[in-house]
Amino acid sequence: MSRDKKEEGNRSNDLDRVIENSRRDFLRKLTLAGAVTVTGGAAIYSGHRFEKAKHREGYVKVLTEDNRLVEIPVEQMRDFKPDLRMLQSRGREGIAGKRWVMVIDLSKCRNARKCVEACQSAHHLRPYEYHINTLVMQESVNTPAFFMPKPCQHCDNPPCVSVCPVDATFKRQDGIVLIDNDRCIGCRFCMAACPYSARIFHWQEPSKHEEDGNKEYDVELNVPQKKGTISKCLFSADRLREGMLPYCVSACPNGVFYFGDENEDAVTNGTTKETVRFSELIEKNGGYRLMPELGTQPRVYYLPPKNRIFEFEQGEKREYKQEKA
Amino acid sequence: MKYTTGVIICLMLLPSFARGQDWVVPDDRKGRLSTFPFTDDTRKEGEKLYQVNCHSCHGDPGRNNFIALQPPPGDPATEKIQRNSDGEIFHKVSAGRGQMPSFRSVLTTDEIWKVVSFIRSFNRSYVQKVMQVITSSAYPGAIISMKLAYDEATKQVLVIASATSETGTVPVTGAGVRLLAARYFGKMAVDEEKTTDVNGVATFSVPEGLRGDTAGNIGFSAMFTDEATFGSVSKDTVLMAGMPVIPVSLTANRAMWNTVRKAPVWIILAYGLGVLAVWGFIVLVMFKLRDIFTVGTALSENISASHGQTEPTKN
Repeated sequence: MSRDKKEEGNRSNDLDRVIENSRRDFLRKLTLAGAVTVTGGAAIYSGHRFEKAKHREGYVKVLTEDNRLVEIPVEQMRDFKPDLRMLQSRGREGIAGKRWVMVIDLSKCRNARKCVEACQSAHHLRPYEYHINTLVMQESVNTPAFFMPKPCQHCDNPPCVSVCPVDATFKRQDGIVLIDNDRCIGCRFCMAACPYSARIFHWQEPSKHEEDGNKEYDVELNVPQKKGTISKCLFSADRLREGMLPYCVSACPNGVFYFGDENEDAVTNGTTKETVRFSELIEKNGGYRLMPELGTQPRVYYLPPKNRIFEFEQGEKREYKQEKA
Repeated sequence: MKYTTGVIICLMLLPSFARGQDWVVPDDRKGRLSTFPFTDDTRKEGEKLYQVNCHSCHGDPGRNNFIALQPPPGDPATEKIQRNSDGEIFHKVSAGRGQMPSFRSVLTTDEIWKVVSFIRSFNRSYVQKVMQVITSSAYPGAIISMKLAYDEATKQVLVIASATSETGTVPVTGAGVRLLAARYFGKMAVDEEKTTDVNGVATFSVPEGLRGDTAGNIGFSAMFTDEATFGSVSKDTVLMAGMPVIPVSLTANRAMWNTVRKAPVWIILAYGLGVLAVWGFIVLVMFKLRDIFTVGTALSENISASHGQTEPTKN
């Protein structure tokens, strides 16, 4: 019995020692953990301070739009990506102080159709969808046939804009007539109103609609194009903003197109890059506009097919059909 | 007999075959040489320029896939084009003729030489001669500079060219100068090419109504036409020599096609009055309905009241 008690006492002593040990152990561990936490925290904090100090040095100089040189932190730099709101507002306003004008010299066109190809690839059109097309023209039996590139005339009195019921098509201060495919309801009133047949309708899903799916819609490029809406020549409004000539103008290998600003009275040839006075070019070569009697006041001028430098291809010549009485 | 006729016909045809090849380059241009040696880098840059400017007509060199024109543009890798001297190719690209457009305003001197470098890479027997004298030969060792000024009274722009060396400053005489005005898509030639006089001054008359900005400022640049002799010196200056132009927005006036705020007054009035008339009519109908309703309730009250009065008398 006493032996049992003794054993019991011993056991309780052992238990006490074990508890004592574990407490000591726990305290030791706690101190260690605390030390680790403090050291780690200090390391993180000093790292944070170092990073902060480093950023203070990491500034870049940026020239703002109003010509001020400012410094911004490197980590706040973002690649400029115009969003839909910005694309829409700048597309509606146009470029201040400009009046775009195009001159097409019919004596130089030999139907290379490079203008058509460049336009179709830029605006993601199918081969039979034309913003610009080269037509075969013959005024009468005795006059020779010639080729006539025909883009949208960007009229100063546009009948197509008057008839639009939803304000999808509009004219800008720089003279360009654009269409907003996001607003267009596809009623095709504008197609009916246009005397120059400059507009097309997307009956099918436009070409490249799958790749263009996620792109931000640019009203100055009409990309991505939308099924069931109208599309038309845009005078390459996106290129003009960058100081570049329109796609068709710079693609022409024969020097047919001149493009420029009427306010500057200057037009630049897309092939030779030669800049001439607009008023002089029109006056000396007898420039004219299409269907002036309609009062649409187009911004596209034509120079007559006089002293042609390319012979009209005989194979393409069409017989002039006389109307049967 | 047949033989002689054949020979005669052949002889008669000869000039017509030769006609396409009589592109004569002036003697002083034939011997012109590149100012830099042709390397792999110049060839690569030349290829890029060729693809943009020449490929649409001349095709890929060595493949004979130029487009069908009369006279044919020709493949630059063929002997017909390769037997031209460097200066001749340079001149033909620069000046152009007939269907071949001039690239003087499209490509700079160095860029045309890079295209020549690319074309020459298809000729294995070609050995390049590089121009020995690169610096100005007319005024050796001198720094040539230009100044621009505008004379309001005569409406002329004066380009004053001078050469400064250790011995002093002397006017640059007999140098061809071109004057260009800056436009949105490129530079426009003002007046013709002029030559500096004994005082080193070239005078350009500003054409009537040459348009400037809102204050009449025009950015002019002057340069020597003969870069080989006088160096590639150019000077850009803004002068108040133009007609002031205050641009007017094309959407400023009221019109049928303009935005709602810029619509013609009669449309705004007619539409506004129309809407008012329709709403007025609707409101009028509502009032009438209310009148009918009030009259109706008054009547029924009257009837029920009269019923209430008459009931006891019945009993």
